[in-house]
Amino acid sequence: MVSLNPVRVLKHEADEEKAETARLSSFVGAMAIGDLVKSTLGPKGMDKILWGMGRNEGEVQVTNDGATILKAVGVDNPAAKVLVNMSRVQDDEVGDGTTSVTVLASELIREAEKLIDMRIHPQTVVAGWRLASKVALNALETAALDHGSDAEKFREDLMNIARTTLSSKILSQHKDFFSKMAVDAVMRLKKSGNLDAIQIIKVPGGTLEESFLDEGFLLDKKPGVHQPQKVEKAKILIANTPMDTDKIKVFGSRVRVENVAKVAEIEVAEKEKMKDKVDQICQHDINVFVNRQLIYNYPEQLFADKGVMAIEHADFDGIERLALVTGGEIVSTFGNPELVKVGKCDLIEQVHIGDHTLLKFSGVPLGEACSIVLRGATEQIINEAERSLHDALCVLTSTVKETRTVFGGGCSEMLMANAVEKKASETPGKEARAMEAFATALRQLPSTIAENGGFDAAQLVSELRALHTQGKITMGLDMNAGSVGDMAQLGITESFSVKRQVLLSASEAAEMILRVDDIIRAAPRKRVQDRGHC
Amino acid sequence: MGVPKQSGNRPSGLMSSKNQKPIEIRSSNIRAGKALADAVRTSLGPRGMDKMIQGPKGDVTITNDGATILEQMKVMHPSAKMLVNLSKAQDVEAGDGTTSVVVMAGSLLEAAEKLLKKGIHPTTISEAFQKAAVKSVEILTEMAVPVDLSDREKLMQAANTSLNSKVVSQHSSELSPIAVDAVLKVINPNQANNVDLNDIKVIKKLGGTVDDTELVEGLVLNEKASGNVKKVEKAKIGLIQFQVSPPKTDMDNQVIVSDYAAMDRVLREERAYILNIVKQIKKAGCNVLLIQKSILRDALSDLAVHFFDKMKIMVVKDIEREDIDYVCKTLGCRPIASLDHFTAENLVAADLVEEQMSGPSKFVKVTGIAHQGRTVSVIMRGSNKLVLEEADRSLHDALCVIRCLVKKKFLIAGGGAPETELYLKLTDYANTLIGADSYCFKAYAEALEVVPYTLAENAGLNPIATVTELRNRHALGETMSGINVRKGAITNILDENVVQPLLVSTSAINLASETVRSILKIDDIVNTVS
Repeated sequence: MVSLNPVRVLKHEADEEKAETARLSSFVGAMAIGDLVKSTLGPKGMDKILWGMGRNEGEVQVTNDGATILKAVGVDNPAAKVLVNMSRVQDDEVGDGTTSVTVLASELIREAEKLIDMRIHPQTVVAGWRLASKVALNALETAALDHGSDAEKFREDLMNIARTTLSSKILSQHKDFFSKMAVDAVMRLKKSGNLDAIQIIKVPGGTLEESFLDEGFLLDKKPGVHQPQKVEKAKILIANTPMDTDKIKVFGSRVRVENVAKVAEIEVAEKEKMKDKVDQICQHDINVFVNRQLIYNYPEQLFADKGVMAIEHADFDGIERLALVTGGEIVSTFGNPELVKVGKCDLIEQVHIGDHTLLKFSGVPLGEACSIVLRGATEQIINEAERSLHDALCVLTSTVKETRTVFGGGCSEMLMANAVEKKASETPGKEARAMEAFATALRQLPSTIAENGGFDAAQLVSELRALHTQGKITMGLDMNAGSVGDMAQLGITESFSVKRQVLLSASEAAEMILRVDDIIRAAPRKRVQDRGHC
Repeated sequence: MGVPKQSGNRPSGLMSSKNQKPIEIRSSNIRAGKALADAVRTSLGPRGMDKMIQGPKGDVTITNDGATILEQMKVMHPSAKMLVNLSKAQDVEAGDGTTSVVVMAGSLLEAAEKLLKKGIHPTTISEAFQKAAVKSVEILTEMAVPVDLSDREKLMQAANTSLNSKVVSQHSSELSPIAVDAVLKVINPNQANNVDLNDIKVIKKLGGTVDDTELVEGLVLNEKASGNVKKVEKAKIGLIQFQVSPPKTDMDNQVIVSDYAAMDRVLREERAYILNIVKQIKKAGCNVLLIQKSILRDALSDLAVHFFDKMKIMVVKDIEREDIDYVCKTLGCRPIASLDHFTAENLVAADLVEEQMSGPSKFVKVTGIAHQGRTVSVIMRGSNKLVLEEADRSLHDALCVIRCLVKKKFLIAGGGAPETELYLKLTDYANTLIGADSYCFKAYAEALEVVPYTLAENAGLNPIATVTELRNRHALGETMSGINVRKGAITNILDENVVQPLLVSTSAINLASETVRSILKIDDIVNTVS
């Protein structure tokens, strides 16, 4: 009789889902993720409130950024996790298109489900998709335009790209304003693409329109009492050193003395030591001293005597960036003044922004550096504005590296879909079905964009498809008018690298999910209740 | 796009029926916003009511200030939270109008709800509201009257308008000159574009009544004098950052006392050490000593107090490190961090330093400072803690109003006049538009009327009769007609001297619209895990 009982291979509580069930469960997860972020796609997409639970109870974020949403929701479904990771990679890689990539992948899965229902083997589907994505990529490459050599036109391209990216975000009403800001910032970076040199400072109050780009560097600190509040031709020493006391670091060290006068002597000696340190620091021929740690009253006064502006307690991020933009190094010993590189800038002064007083370092040697000050009504608005601007900056820097551009507004997707469909009609075998499915999934992107805008998606997409088949490959969706329009005229442009990444990541992730036929859950680690005595 | 049927295992909680959820979320957000606005709307205007808020520990706050009410309310709903932030932002930006901005946002949300029901897409509404806000600011700017900072009368009127809606309104005649004078003292009237309110130090002292509040041209320290010397004329003031107490090293130290004689010696040496410091201070000619607070050791030992008393030196200890900046700026001195720097040139002169009593507590007042910086102090008095706190908030609002006028030198009428004017102009403008924008502009204009409506309602007038009469007057070209709450009638509000800074109104409109737009664009609330 024993042989009739099912043999339990897995550990108790471990769990296995097989074939159909496994597939179904991962499909459901992937589609749910897609549906979650779908409504944020496109210029008329909606925002989501992310409401913190658990540790950050009650924290509220308002966002439209796919990666931010997905990062925040906790998912339990393995397939959903794959999509979440994919959007995160997209965010790291190119910074934008995080929603598109998720929606595309989940649409691919949706199509795949239908194919599987038709008893087409997953491997056949995968083979078809591979072919399709190759064709789509080719189509995208041929359609891409490159204005990299023409500075004038390239700037126009960048402006268009920034505008397109921002139009789906909270900044859409001010997109011209912010695109100019983002393009200016990125153009300053030249080819280096080092986004660290762009500092974003958030100051609540005011409106988004009051945000501005400022050359130079802003530090949220004040100089010490009775020290110069404004320094021209500044020579800056950036340090990370204790300026309270030079303690002996050996644990438990202490002095034993016979009488109080000795204590007083030691006190004086300690003071002398600090004075020596300040003298050593001033040996560097500087007029500004920025320290990451505290500066006590006594050294502060000594610096004041020497006419040195001393700034204490600059945060870590602040001084690293300051070192980068002023070209100095962070030092912690002061024995060899000649070996230390001292940072330089033309002018340091205090500026008032809202209620804040900030120190502004202008005329820094790293000409690329600049600061963007964001203003807005509420914290949520400023945070979202920062995310949007960050996306735009990422896209722009990647465009500076890869100068090719393609048209947005669903135009490139339609182009790829048509190319794939054409190829499908020439391909014999079951793979053709998979390719058709791929094309359908691609067409879902413009369809979703239109749907989010409250327009008749089926009508618009079919119009668009017809136009593309007639060879008008610059046509796309004009979401302001709610009709199809010429993207070249409207200036709706996207970066080629973003689009390529969307296509490749989405098809790869979908393929991965599709190949799954078994989900095994490891048994959870046993938690033994701790009954130890306290 | 059919939603696949839930598979048996692990139902995915993320799925939802497709069309219903966004609508529900949106209406829940709007409801929460409206509820919050309703909670504060009764405190709008000169006849607005106050709220008593009981804190979690049983502490009570009585206030009429929108930002304070909302902050204390500890709301949970995410979109209500955004309104709380909105009121905070208005507080930062303009300092006044924190109630109006929330009431306005609530009313705009209500308008948006109606538009949504008509089937207009939320982004369309959002865009239209933005355009309407821009247009409104234009109209308000046209209405505004320029003001000169030397025109003290006008500034006082503006401060009065702000104070009139507070608990302390009967004291507005005392507080508004204080607010105006304080701001004018700390700025350079010819080139100022902003006021650093940190230069105006408000010290709250229980006892007396709000009438006793005074503006001090000099320095007020919220500490008492340590010794017996309570009054010094022709003072020489030194501000020190070192301590007058037995020596202490940064490292741990131990004084080993091996016999009785050594103990005696230790005591004697300690005396000598402190006496030496005190003598040096005396030698420099100092007779008032201000000592910074120290967390590492006693700033002032009892022995030192004794010596100072003998030398007739007044000592004030425990001045916070953050205040040092302000004290230095006021006195025009520099802090002295070591004894060797304690010389006559680092001291500053003042005519009188005196400790004064106020109810149970004491404070030190320094007047007639030789080289005073651009700072002032205000001693705020009140008969009980609640009144005192509210008076402080009200004075802050009044100071902010004056600051707004320094930032943007324009005044605008109060009493609901600008809102009514906006209503008429925007409705006219809406008629020139085609499409959904026209509807949205009309709704926006109507939503703004909530301000005169609530003003009238809170004043016990018939809101409908008042608002319609107001409209009528404005339509006849009397752009300055507003609700005169005191007389309970509609009059030319400029004649009544009810004026407010333009910045308060424009910032309220901008901020409220921005927040409403971002609430409108939300279609889902996602719980997150960390």
